[in-house]
Amino acid sequence: MDIQTLLSFEWGMMAPEFTILIVGILLSLLDLFGKDTWKKSLPWLAVGGVGVAIIFLLFQYGHGDISILGNTYVFDSFAFYFKLILLIATLLILLMVISRTVQQEVRDRGEYLYLLLAALLGGMMVASGGDLISLFVGLELLSLSSYIMVGLRKRDVRSSEGAMKYLINGSIATAFTLFGMSYVFGLTGSTKLVDIAREMSGSLGSGEPVAIIGFIIMFVGLAFKISTVPFHMWTPDVYEGAVTPVSAFLSVVSKSAGFIIIVRIFWGIFGNATFGGSDTLFATMIDFIAVLAFLTMFIGNLVALRQRNMKRLLAYSSIGHAGYILIPLVSLTPVSLENIWFYLLAYAFMTIGAFMVIYILEQQKQSEDISIFTGLYRESPALAIIMTIFLASLAGIPGTAGFIGKFNIFVGAVAADPAQYILAGTMAVMTVVSYIYYFNIMVQMYIRKPQLEGTTKIARLQSVPLILCVAGTIGLGVFPFIALNFFH
Amino acid sequence: MIEFAWLIPALPLLTFLLLIVLREKLKKASGYVAVLISGITFIVATLVFLQLIDVGNFLMEWSWLTIGSIDISFGILLNPLNGLMLLLVAFISFLIHMYSLGYMDGDQRFSTFFAYLSLFTSAMLGLVMSPNLLQFYMFWELVGLGSFLLIGFYFYKNSAKQAAKKAFIMTRIGDVGLLIGLILLFWQTNSLRFVDIYQAVTNGDMSGGMITLIAILIFIGAIGKSGQFPLHTWLPDAMEGPTPVSALIHAATMVAAGVYLVAVMYPLYMASSLAMMIVAIVGAFTAIYAATIGLVQNDLKQVLAYSTISQLGFMMLAMGVLGYTAGIFHLFTHAFFKALLFLAAGSVIHAVHTQNIKEMGGLNQKLKLTSAVFLIGALAISGFPLFSGFFSKEEILASVWAEGQYGLFIIAIVAAFLTSVYMFRLYFLVFHGESKLTLDKVKPVPMTMKIPMMVLALFAIFSGFFNTSWFGTYIADFLEEGATYLEGIHHGSSIWLMLLATVVSLGGIALAYLIYVKNALNQENWKTSGTYQMLLNKYYMDEFYDNTFVKGSRGIGLGFQYVEKYFVRLIILFIGDLVTTFSRTGSKSQTGQAQTYTAVAFLGLVLFAAVYMLKGGY
Repeated sequence: MDIQTLLSFEWGMMAPEFTILIVGILLSLLDLFGKDTWKKSLPWLAVGGVGVAIIFLLFQYGHGDISILGNTYVFDSFAFYFKLILLIATLLILLMVISRTVQQEVRDRGEYLYLLLAALLGGMMVASGGDLISLFVGLELLSLSSYIMVGLRKRDVRSSEGAMKYLINGSIATAFTLFGMSYVFGLTGSTKLVDIAREMSGSLGSGEPVAIIGFIIMFVGLAFKISTVPFHMWTPDVYEGAVTPVSAFLSVVSKSAGFIIIVRIFWGIFGNATFGGSDTLFATMIDFIAVLAFLTMFIGNLVALRQRNMKRLLAYSSIGHAGYILIPLVSLTPVSLENIWFYLLAYAFMTIGAFMVIYILEQQKQSEDISIFTGLYRESPALAIIMTIFLASLAGIPGTAGFIGKFNIFVGAVAADPAQYILAGTMAVMTVVSYIYYFNIMVQMYIRKPQLEGTTKIARLQSVPLILCVAGTIGLGVFPFIALNFFH
Repeated sequence: MIEFAWLIPALPLLTFLLLIVLREKLKKASGYVAVLISGITFIVATLVFLQLIDVGNFLMEWSWLTIGSIDISFGILLNPLNGLMLLLVAFISFLIHMYSLGYMDGDQRFSTFFAYLSLFTSAMLGLVMSPNLLQFYMFWELVGLGSFLLIGFYFYKNSAKQAAKKAFIMTRIGDVGLLIGLILLFWQTNSLRFVDIYQAVTNGDMSGGMITLIAILIFIGAIGKSGQFPLHTWLPDAMEGPTPVSALIHAATMVAAGVYLVAVMYPLYMASSLAMMIVAIVGAFTAIYAATIGLVQNDLKQVLAYSTISQLGFMMLAMGVLGYTAGIFHLFTHAFFKALLFLAAGSVIHAVHTQNIKEMGGLNQKLKLTSAVFLIGALAISGFPLFSGFFSKEEILASVWAEGQYGLFIIAIVAAFLTSVYMFRLYFLVFHGESKLTLDKVKPVPMTMKIPMMVLALFAIFSGFFNTSWFGTYIADFLEEGATYLEGIHHGSSIWLMLLATVVSLGGIALAYLIYVKNALNQENWKTSGTYQMLLNKYYMDEFYDNTFVKGSRGIGLGFQYVEKYFVRLIILFIGDLVTTFSRTGSKSQTGQAQTYTAVAFLGLVLFAAVYMLKGGY
């Protein structure tokens, strides 16, 4: 690759990534060498950076598909729409970080910020990755930053424990993923997705079992990121150990990135690979993912019933939601991608909103137990109603984004060929089960009397992410067509 | 102005919201707010109507739901028929609002009453402006809700509670018919817009049998709402509501919605002679059936309620014999005189605090105005010459005769005769004879109640002249302008019919005079007779329903309760236990050991790989 070709690439398309990179580096420098008085405004710099990146990204709306660096980095509509989710979610989480009222060690602050941005950059690289290597690098950037973020409260035992577990499990998952990728590479002799897909679309012949092994191993490895069975067990411990904004980040951004890479690799490669002459390899492996989806929904929702720690509860609930999102992956209808996207977007708003409410209460009451919600309606009706909106959306009550997301997935599953009645049914049943633990929180808020000391007030800064999340949750619930039309 | 027609239902809705929210603050003033806004509503309706006379037709639609290629809209349709209804409803509603200021004075839930009344008015106005059946159906249910709330207004009285419930359930039975008809129509025509339905009928898109079926199902809805036999029993009980409510909802407007529904769907009925026949027979039967019951009831409002049922029967009869304009014309005049009668009855009740006519008498001394307007109303409903009822009833008779339905004609004549008998029985017993009440028990009637009565009295006398064979058939011409399918149907009246109607009306009055003033017949003898007892007990319809449907459903309910108790609950307990067990096992496996987590992941991988290898045969 000579300098000529290098310059001929449309680097402008990478403006969002560059913005995040530059702001991240700037933050780390300012954090190291800047005056203490500047440090207060550092979070705003991060917010501004993400905001600018979103604007740069929006300029790409409707832009045709192009790729640079020899197809290793692609800008297609898929990358565009999913990057948007990552950026919006990170923006909300940054606002959540800013709203912190309890002063912790000042030194932590800057680190959180540039680690968040580094992780975000990793996520964006995953969204645009067109090569197994670039996908892997992006994923690792995301993962490594996440490991540190979980462990940043180093004097907290739970934090260190969580970080350790996350690191160990994550490393094993990485090993799985790489191992699986090596099979694919061995079979096709390339790491570029385009080339792999082309190689695989021919007859695989005796390569079929190798392809299947690669498929299974890679999927299990990536299941770690989206915390689905069998790689889900780290989730509650890590969410509990991390500070709440980081839990929210893992739950939304990291998980979205996981789905992005799964869709990219599995639909991109195996969706084109012929198998046994007629079907695609992906189509023959549908049952495998369906079983995982079933188990994930089942375990996530049932175990959530017994949780009293709010972050653990949301961790299990997020496992359940990941199970729902696997359904469109299996259904393979023309609207599957749209359904995944919409659900991730809705999930971002409602989950970050719920974490935000927990974050506010946790700072005021110094607890993460479900009892922080008892009698909330009497202490702060507004906060109780806002939490009700998020819970209703998580539970999938009509009028909220969560309902539309679930409804679309359900319809997609039933309309698919072959129809996934079992998955659709499981989803419906598990949604009912999830009512138990979501509504239990409402019972605590509205019916019980307050138990813990402390007043509950929403500070002005705290209201910003709350309002945005409520607007997103209700807006997508009442006018889902705005988002869906935008996607088309 | 006509573009602002949407204001007409929106304004009372605004009143409703205002009064509900500011109930505590407005208190007394809420009544005046409601009267003021309903007055504005009436003015807007008048302006719209005046413009409509020039324009002839007006349609405004907004797309509401789009499902595939099917577009369901929401909007406003104005044509001569619903323009007339609009004006009528807005006018009477305004008068009743004003009357209620006096009547409901001192009630604890004064504001709530006006809020409900406004809600009803809004729904009724929305109903008549609907351009499609779905919107119609929504407002149809909303007026039902308004009626339910107002019948049960005195909810602390058990009878009122029961009556509200009964009204709701009985009309719901009819509504189910309407809903099925609506769904069938949608299935057949892929649209619920009236114009599309008419078009489908004209094009012959539906089979004759289907048209008849749909027409009958829709008519069942009309039967429920308009208190026609056999779903009429709720209407007399609905008199538990405050009297202004009886006047507005259960005499002038809502109960007429059934007739309006038939009128709106008229092309459908015209395409099915069987459906028409059923409408005519049900109408005629109800007319005479309710009139006979009205002869012996002793509750002032009950008699008026049966009279309403009977008059609605007349309207249905007219509809069934192609007397479209006659039916609507009678709806129009009936709204005035029946509202008047109820308001007059209300001011009697307001003054003497009883509804039993046996305890009244000689009230024309103390309630001069009330007595006069009641007499006007009674003359109008009896079809006394030159009063409004005379013209409209005569037109119905002419329609029946012209269709050659001589059997129905005789029934109608007898029912008309009975009408004057029971109305004048009422008049003579209440206002004539010995006063049975002590003087001081009679309260004066306030001005806010007098004015509406006087206005309505004027209309009860003169509204007939809007449509006479002598001075011009304005209403009929206007209606026919908007309904092209009516062309070629015209029932001229004849002198002999007018004479016959006069004779019948006067004969009834004379008979009532002989019995109740002159005491020419021994009344005590009848009371032991079987017929009298049967009429007094309203043909035992309530008892019949109680012993069949009500008890029957209770029995079925009881059976299901046992199924629930011993079968369903067991299953639920089992499922609950299952969920808890799984949940407990699941959280136990969460040991907190990173080794376990990894082991699970490895095991999972191995398991899946093994299954696939075995299945694939590699």
